[in-house]
Amino acid sequence: MNLAMQFYLTTLLVFLGVNVLACWGLNLQFGVAGVINFAFVVFQAIGAYTTAVLSMGPDTAYGGFQHYILGNKLPFPLPLLIGTAVGALLGLLLGMIGLRRLRSDYEAMVMLVVSVIATKFVTSDTGLLNGPAGLALIPHPLASTLGLAPIDYAWFYVGLVAVSCALCYVVVHRITNSPYGRMLRAMRENERAAVALGKNVAAMRLAVFAVGGGIAALSGGLLAGFIGAWSPGGWLYVETFTLFTAIIVGGMGSNLGAVVGALLVPVVFLEGTRFLPTIGSSEVMAGLQWIVIGLLAMAFLWFWPRGIVPERRSAYAPGELPSQGSHPALPLERHSS
Amino acid sequence: MSQVIAAIGFGLVTASILSIASVGFTLQFGVTNVLNIAYGSVMISCAFVAYYFTTIGVPLILAAALGTAFGAVLSVLMNRVVYTPFIKRGTRLFGMIIVTISMGLIIQNAILCIVGPTFVALPVGSGAVRRLGSIVLTDSQLVVIGIAIAAMLGVHVVLKYTPLGKSMRAAASNAALARASGISVARVSDVAWGMSGALCGLAGVVLALNTASFQYTTGDEFLVVIIAAAVLGGIGYPYGAVIGSAIIGIGMEVASIAVGSSYKEIFAFAILVLVLLLRPQGIFADIAGRREVAA
Repeated sequence: MNLAMQFYLTTLLVFLGVNVLACWGLNLQFGVAGVINFAFVVFQAIGAYTTAVLSMGPDTAYGGFQHYILGNKLPFPLPLLIGTAVGALLGLLLGMIGLRRLRSDYEAMVMLVVSVIATKFVTSDTGLLNGPAGLALIPHPLASTLGLAPIDYAWFYVGLVAVSCALCYVVVHRITNSPYGRMLRAMRENERAAVALGKNVAAMRLAVFAVGGGIAALSGGLLAGFIGAWSPGGWLYVETFTLFTAIIVGGMGSNLGAVVGALLVPVVFLEGTRFLPTIGSSEVMAGLQWIVIGLLAMAFLWFWPRGIVPERRSAYAPGELPSQGSHPALPLERHSS
Repeated sequence: MSQVIAAIGFGLVTASILSIASVGFTLQFGVTNVLNIAYGSVMISCAFVAYYFTTIGVPLILAAALGTAFGAVLSVLMNRVVYTPFIKRGTRLFGMIIVTISMGLIIQNAILCIVGPTFVALPVGSGAVRRLGSIVLTDSQLVVIGIAIAAMLGVHVVLKYTPLGKSMRAAASNAALARASGISVARVSDVAWGMSGALCGLAGVVLALNTASFQYTTGDEFLVVIIAAAVLGGIGYPYGAVIGSAIIGIGMEVASIAVGSSYKEIFAFAILVLVLLLRPQGIFADIAGRREVAA
């Protein structure tokens, strides 16, 4: 494989990994718990910005051509970890707005407004995060320590993203395939019933906001470290829409579906269309991509609302209910207490 | 002080545009129960239609009317061809939001593909400048205020004094009961989309009249402010939307003196968040509460 192809492949793999992470986070919030976070990309952005400013050093470096707050030069895993934590904190904060229970479409609309305003805010204030130009020259994590050739570093980064995905999978899998995951699904299906069963719905909503927000921030931090730049143009609200489309295409509530969606929608549609012959200008091509994404979302809602990999139904068919004898490992004494 | 009064003057203009837009937005939601995120994109498509007609030599007033009519036709078509079939197929709340966002993206990017990312402007001279104390407004801004007042009065008359308006209000407050009373909810819904679309188109045209230039994303940016005004007044409640627009419109312009004009949308947003935290059904309406937008 020649060098250009390797660079292209590693870039695609990193994008895929980042999108898989984001889709898992969104799937946990929306697919599993039914919490609609249309400001999801804001969490990616805050992760990216935090990781960036904490690894770039004070903004007087590089001749002070860009201005940002909190500049610091922390060693490698710290900026990414702090970015993830900040994303989780923002999740708690934004989750508070969602605690006033709103109808789901209404909630989606409000979160959409949050997303638009966040972009507007960062764009308007040039001293905060360098305004519309965004941050550039974000250091690649460990690049100077490792001293690898660019292509070897790219493969190293693919490995870093893969490890992050593996860790993240353990987290989301353990949450979704556990009694807690069943509680989240119960909340999604019928919130009043979940409340009636004594489940603390508010705490569950805040928890998925925080965990999903953390995962989103991690994906953003990884992306910013790979590209080396991050600006408001990269986290417009339509990016969240792309991720929602990915979840709908892959199958809401299914972690495997999220991977399939992340592979098909952001990577194939937004990257793969580069191989098609260019019709008109690049703006027209970008416009056509969004039209295709919109049509894709509607087509799936119409024909396959459960997605390519539908969520496995955990209900038992009538007459198939497990008797207590078939589960000798069940701690029966706990039921009597 | 005079600066604040001048800002109130500009606020009246913003509030006028906003009230046309938010009444259309909220009216359609009230009757049909669909939150139409494509609204901003439809709005700007109408401005582009009006712009197109002016470029081929149609007088501005006629072009504005054609833009308005385009909004009505496009909205009715969107409802008939896309939204209603989805609802009949069982797509609900969240799914419908995805559908309306998709439609918005499709319309907005269709404009991008057709006219490109360029900024255009309607051929309007701002006219003479009128002064009333510290308030300084151009003739075209006074026209915008006049159009808004006329449109609001028109909506009021239709809702209050015509049988059609009565059936619309009936369908908005209880669709099942309205159906049982022999009101054709499908027809009422068509009318609501038509009226809302016309207001949307008109709002797009007056927005274009009042801004120096506009682009395919201009409507999308304005949607945030429309949503804030509609939510403040209680979503689904046209009279509330007018008051919400006045508060947001004037508040935004006054706030822009204090914090700079690039932050004025953030004022609208702050109000939106406060309303949601304290009183999500809006400050005036009880309709939103009954419709279970917020529990």
